[in-house]
Amino acid sequence: MIIDFPLIVDSLPLLIQGAFVTLKIALGGCLIGIILGTALALLHTSHHALLQSLVTCYVIIIRGTPMLIQILCAFYVLPQLGLKLDTLSTAIIAIGLNSAAYISQIVKAGISSVGMGQREAAAALGLSKHDTIRFIILPQALRIALPALGNEFVTLVKDSSLASVIGVAELSKQGRFIISKTYDGITVFFALAILYLIITSTISLIVAQLEKRMSCDAQN
Amino acid sequence: MLKIEKLQKSFKNQIILHNISFSVNEGEIALFLGSSGVGKSTLLRILTGLDPADSGSIYLDNELLDFHTINTTHAIGMVFQHFNLFEHLTVEQNITLPLERVLKYSAEQAQMIAHNLLKQYGLEDKKHVYAARLSGGQKQRLAIARAIAMKPRVMCLDEPTSALDPVLTSYVAQNIQHLADNGYIVLVATHDTALLQQLNCTIYLMSKGSIIEVAQSQNFKNDPHAYPLIKKFIAGHE
Repeated sequence: MIIDFPLIVDSLPLLIQGAFVTLKIALGGCLIGIILGTALALLHTSHHALLQSLVTCYVIIIRGTPMLIQILCAFYVLPQLGLKLDTLSTAIIAIGLNSAAYISQIVKAGISSVGMGQREAAAALGLSKHDTIRFIILPQALRIALPALGNEFVTLVKDSSLASVIGVAELSKQGRFIISKTYDGITVFFALAILYLIITSTISLIVAQLEKRMSCDAQN
Repeated sequence: MLKIEKLQKSFKNQIILHNISFSVNEGEIALFLGSSGVGKSTLLRILTGLDPADSGSIYLDNELLDFHTINTTHAIGMVFQHFNLFEHLTVEQNITLPLERVLKYSAEQAQMIAHNLLKQYGLEDKKHVYAARLSGGQKQRLAIARAIAMKPRVMCLDEPTSALDPVLTSYVAQNIQHLADNGYIVLVATHDTALLQQLNCTIYLMSKGSIIEVAQSQNFKNDPHAYPLIKKFIAGHE
């Protein structure tokens, strides 16, 4: 048989350890991405020309360069700036900064989708701009953006494999380590694919449930 | 008393409102009648601080209001044509959020006010339902309750019956009359001639940004021929 199932069972502890690191990178990156991306989206919708230009430049640079190079840059540049971090934290920051550019566009689209009537109703009631954003616009924008944010999280799980270039022992790195000892690439890559599939499917299910719960049209 | 003097508004060299002046006392309804695009909604938007006028004055009890800060005084409430409820919030939260954030009421005080208003408007059993799930009539009542919660002196209603069937139109007319009976200064912008026939109000017929004819609804009903422009408008919309 092509797939050596006993090898998969033997390798599971190491692969699961790698899967947890992968999840850490994806979760950390997504958290940074959501916070920074939301801030960037708000700056971009602020009607302040300079801020809009700065955000646009950031998005162009990040989206126009490979994440691999961004991770390597963070690995080499951050210590030069006096920020000495372990490789896992470096990977999380680099992936988070990358994700922020994409998430800013997702949130920006969400903000644009919230009707002008909502801002006008808030203004007529005397709500401040800050409260309007916090209580009226952002909750609705994030609800609209949730499916796209879910996709971004799934992408981050897969992109986290790039962290292996700076030595982070995430799932794919652990897989390659097992291959180097067993020379059974097919079995290990099969196991890796299944584990990635389990992680991404679980995330998709959780996001779908969240969407259902956050829907205003849901029974309540 | 709400007194408007020589209100002027233009947009891209097009005059939207021209020399609008009128006054409305407590307990009275001013109904601005006219086709779409004559400036009725713009007038209400200026009064609620959503758009500034180019010139003119707004006095409430002889106090001059600033176009740019009207909404922070909470003196003028607005019920929008499409209600503009916060659909991601529950019925109760639609009322309590502005009370807590703008008027700085405690959560308990805000809930108490919301409870009383929802009871008054027959929405008590819906308070934990998302606003998105309400019917058209229920949304309208919630929009009125939300505006009233801020204790305005003036209530503006923009096309309050445009999304409603004839039965609900009659119900809304009762609600509007009820607001006036409770001492509110009520301003209604509408092209719905069925509404004016159910209200005891002053009719201001508007055309191309100007008020072209004024009539007390009772006088108009008694002698429609004395008000040819309003009569013609109604005939054209029946």
